[in-house]
Amino acid sequence: MTSKDRQAALAGQPNCGKSTVFNALTGASQHVANYPGVTVDKLVGSFRHNGTKVELVDLPGTYSLTSYSPEERVTRDFLLHEKPGLVINVADASNLQRNLYLTFQLLEMDVPLILNLNMIDVAKARGHEIDAEKLSRRLGVPVLPTNMKSGQGKKELLEAVSGTIARAEGRTSRIDYGDIESFIRELVDVLSAEPALADRYPLRWLAIKLLEEDREAQRLLVDGHPEADRVLADASAKRKAFEAAYGKTPEQHVAGRRYQAAADVAASAVGRSDLGKRPFSDRIDGIVCNRYLGPLILVGVVYLLYYLSIVQGYNLTNYTWPLLARLRTLVEALAPAPGFIEIPLIRAFALWFVDSINALLNYIPIFFILFGLIAILEDSGYMPRMAFIMDRLLSRYGLHGQSTLPMVLGGVYVGGCAVPAVMSCKGIPDERSRLATILIIPLLNCLAKVPLYVLLINIYFAQHKGLAMFFISTISLLFALPISKILTLTVLKDKETTPFIMEMPPYHLPTVRGVLVKAWRRVWLFLKKITTIVAAVAVVIFVLLQFPGLSAERLADYNGRKDQAVAAFMAAIQGTRFAGRIQEDHLMDLVGYWDEYKDAKMTAGNQAALDELKQRFEARDPDFYRIVQPGGDQEAQKANRAFKKLDRSRREILMAMRQERLNQSFLGRLGQAIEPVTRFAGFNWRVNVALLSALAAKESSVATLGALYQQEGSGQSLEQRMAEGEKGFSSLAALALMLFMVLYPPCVATTIAVKLQSGSARWMLFSMFYPMILGLAVATLVYSGGLALGLDGRQAMYAFYGLALAVTVAMGLIKNRAQTA
Amino acid sequence: MTLDQLKPGSQARIVHLAARDKLGQRLMDMGIYPGLRLEIVRNAPLEDPLEILLDGYYVSLRHEEARFVEVERL
Amino acid sequence: MFKRSLSILFLAVVLGTGGSALAHTPLCSCWDNGDGTITCEGGFSDGSSAAGVAMRIKDPSGKILAEGQINKLGEFTADKPKGDYQVEFDAGEGHRIVIDGKDILK
Repeated sequence: MTSKDRQAALAGQPNCGKSTVFNALTGASQHVANYPGVTVDKLVGSFRHNGTKVELVDLPGTYSLTSYSPEERVTRDFLLHEKPGLVINVADASNLQRNLYLTFQLLEMDVPLILNLNMIDVAKARGHEIDAEKLSRRLGVPVLPTNMKSGQGKKELLEAVSGTIARAEGRTSRIDYGDIESFIRELVDVLSAEPALADRYPLRWLAIKLLEEDREAQRLLVDGHPEADRVLADASAKRKAFEAAYGKTPEQHVAGRRYQAAADVAASAVGRSDLGKRPFSDRIDGIVCNRYLGPLILVGVVYLLYYLSIVQGYNLTNYTWPLLARLRTLVEALAPAPGFIEIPLIRAFALWFVDSINALLNYIPIFFILFGLIAILEDSGYMPRMAFIMDRLLSRYGLHGQSTLPMVLGGVYVGGCAVPAVMSCKGIPDERSRLATILIIPLLNCLAKVPLYVLLINIYFAQHKGLAMFFISTISLLFALPISKILTLTVLKDKETTPFIMEMPPYHLPTVRGVLVKAWRRVWLFLKKITTIVAAVAVVIFVLLQFPGLSAERLADYNGRKDQAVAAFMAAIQGTRFAGRIQEDHLMDLVGYWDEYKDAKMTAGNQAALDELKQRFEARDPDFYRIVQPGGDQEAQKANRAFKKLDRSRREILMAMRQERLNQSFLGRLGQAIEPVTRFAGFNWRVNVALLSALAAKESSVATLGALYQQEGSGQSLEQRMAEGEKGFSSLAALALMLFMVLYPPCVATTIAVKLQSGSARWMLFSMFYPMILGLAVATLVYSGGLALGLDGRQAMYAFYGLALAVTVAMGLIKNRAQTA
Repeated sequence: MTLDQLKPGSQARIVHLAARDKLGQRLMDMGIYPGLRLEIVRNAPLEDPLEILLDGYYVSLRHEEARFVEVERL
Repeated sequence: MFKRSLSILFLAVVLGTGGSALAHTPLCSCWDNGDGTITCEGGFSDGSSAAGVAMRIKDPSGKILAEGQINKLGEFTADKPKGDYQVEFDAGEGHRIVIDGKDILK
C-alpha cells in the first residue's frame, strides 16, 4: 500500500458538524497549511487506528462541486489530483435529502466513499428514523450514523475507515440521468479514445461536466487531450442539441435528476413522523430577526463582544505585561552597558527589537479572547443572522452582510483593532465585498490611536470635548462607507461576485473544545505569520532611524553639555562626605545604581517587598543608598538634589540626541523632502518626521506630535491665544492632523494581515498607499480650505462632518451593478 | 409571479428558474429547484433579504435574486 | 543598483510608516519621595512616551485636588495630599490607570 492510500479526506456540506468530526478524529495533531494560489485554509491532521496511521484532510464545506467558488475548486482539485484513499462524506442526518445532492456528486468522482450520518440526535429529535442498512445498500457505500459531539459512533466510524482503506475498492452506485444519458455515453466514448485522459479522470464525471460547460473541466481537457478543441466543439454541439430538444440546460436537468434520486433514496430509508411544531431555532429567530428586537440584540451582542475582548482583554494585559517587561529587563542586562550619553549600537538595536516584539505580543490576551468569542458566534450559528439583518444597508456600499463583524472589530464608534478585524474577513463569501471590507478596515477606529486624539482634543477643543470625541469616533464610518462604494465602482469593479443566498442553520451550542481549537489556531497564525514579519521589518526601520547618525561636531556639542552637567554635579557635592566617594569617570556606577533602584521600586508589589528591596540596595552600597534615599540626612539631601539635576540633564541630552538623530536620519530626510506638499495640510517637516517615524516607539507620535502641537498651542492662556489670533489657526491644524490620523494605516501588523487575507502583495501596498494619499488630501482640504474660508477648528469640524454625511448618503443611493441572470 | 413578490407566511411551489450561470447554479445547489415546495418565513428588519423554508432547512436570499425564481402560490 | 536599493528603501519606509500612535497598554507607577511630594512615571508598553497625558489627583469624593500632565521626561510630580487620595493617568478610552494613594509607597 502506498502512502497515498493512507490519506483520507473529509468532505461535506456546511453545518453538518464536519469540524467536530475532524477534531474528534485528529485531536491535537492538526495544523493549518495552504492550498497553493488561494486563500483557503487547508486543515490537516492525522490519527492512528489498529496500528495504521491515516493522514486526514478537512476539505472546505461546500454544497456542491461546481467550479464557481474557490472552496469548490479546491475540493475538486484535491479529489481529482491527490486521489485520497478514502473520502468520508459527513452529512447532516436531519437533512439527508439535501446532503445526498453532494454525496451523489462525490460518488461520480469515483472516490472510495463512506457516508457519515452525523447529528443523528438532531434527526431523531425531528422525528426522522434512518435505516442505515437500507441506505447503505441503495448507495453502495458503508453508512455510519454518529453523534460526534458526544462521541457516539466514533469507534464504528474508525473501524469502517480502516476497513475501507484496507479494501481499497471504489464501487459506486450511479444515478440514471434519463434523457441526457445518451449524450453522456457518446461523449464518454469520445473521451475514452484518449488513454491518457481515461487514466487520470473519471470519464463519466468529465463528460457530464463538459456538457454543463464547466470551466475547470474544460481546462482539464485542454491540458490533458491533444485534440481538446474538437472534443469541446462536440460537447458544445451536444449541449445545444439537448437544450433544443428538452428546453432546459444540462446542468438544470442533472440537478433535477439528482434531487429526484435524493428524494427517492431518502424516502426509502428515512421514516418521518411529523412532529408538527416549529423548530426551536426558528422560534428563536422570531425574536432575533424581529424588525425591532433584531437590531437591538445585534447591538447588544456587538457591545458584549467589544466589552469582553477589548476592555477586559486590556485588563488582562496588565497581568501579562510584567512578563514581557521582564524580558526587556533581561535584554537590558545582557546588552552592553550604556555610557553617560553614548549608547552602544547593539544595545540600542536590542532594546528597539524587544520593544517592537513586546508591543505585538502584548496583544495576545486580547486576541485570544476575541477569537474565542468570534468562534462562539460562528459555531452558534448567529453569524448568518447578523448578515441577514445588516445586509441591505451594507450591500448598498458594496459590502456584505457578513462584513458586519469585521467592521465592528475594526472599531465602529468605540475603538477596535484592525488586525483581528482583517483576519475575520475570511468568512465573507463574495470576493468583491471581501476585498472591499479588507480595504476599509484600516480606516476604522483603531483603539491605539485614541491617546493622540485625546491629547489634541484636550489642547485645542477643550471647550467642546464631548463633541470633538463624538466627531472623531463617528467620522471613520463616514469615511469607510463611501470609500467602500468608490472602491467597488472603480478598483474592484471586475472582481468576482457571489450570490448572497445563504443557509440559516439551526442554532447550536458551541463546544468548548471547538472554540478553543479555533481561537488557538488563529492566535498561532497571528504569531507565526504576522509577528515574524514585523520583526524583520523592525530591523529595517531601525536602520532607517539610526543612520546616518550624528556628525562629529554635533557629538562634540553634546559632550560639551554633558561635561557642563557633570561639572555642576561634582561642584555641588564638594564639601559633602560623598566627594571622595564618587569619581568623575565612574559616574555611571551611580547612574546605573539609581536607575536599577528606581526600576526595582516600580515593580515592588507591597511594603514588605519594598523594605526587602531597600535593605538589599543598602547592603550593596551604603553611600549610594544614602544619596538615593536621603531621609533626614542634610548632606545626603544636598547630594540627592544635585544628582536629580544631573539625571534630568542626562535624560534631556539623550532625548535631544535621539530627536536630532531622527531628524538627520533617512526617514527624517524624507520628512523634510515632502514638506512642500504636506504644508498645505498644515504639516511642517517636524510633523512629517514624527508621522513617518511612527514606529519609532519611545519618542514617537503621541508624545512628539503632542509636544509639537503643544508648543504652538499651550503655554499661553486662552485669551492670549485668541488675542494673537492663533487659536483658529492651531485648532484647524489639529483637526487636519486628527483626520489624517484617522485614515493613516494603523500598523505594520495590519498591513501584513491584509496581505494574508487578500493573498496579494499588490493589495497590501494599495491598502497602505491609498489611505495615506486620501488622508493627505482630506487634511489639505480641511486645513487649506478652512484657512481660505476663515474657519476655526470647531466650525471646520461641523462643515466637514456635514460634507462627509452628505457624501455617505449620496453614495448609498448610487445603484450597484445590477444582478443579471 | 416571482418569489420576491410573496409575503411572509405564504406557501408556494417553484415553477421555473429564470437564472442561469452562477446564480442559477447556486439556487439549484441550495435546493431551490422547479417542483419543490417552499414557505416564505420572514423579511429582514430592513425588508431585504428574505428567508424561506424548504424541506426542513432555512435559506435566505436577496430580493434581487428571488426575482429569478418563478413560483405559483399554494 | 542604486535604483534598486532606493526602491527597497522606499518599500521599507512605506511598510514601516503605517504605525502611528501604537500605544497599547498604558503604564504608570508612583512613589512617595519622602519630602511631601509624590512622583509618577508614565509610559506605554511599546515604549512610546506619555508626555502630555493628563494626570489628576482626586479625593475619595471625586473632587480634583491637583491636575497636570506627564512632562517631557515621562514624569509627573505633585504635592502629596493629606488623607486618602487617588491618582489618575488618563490617556483616553481604554488607556486609563487609577492608583490608590494607599498603594503609593515610600
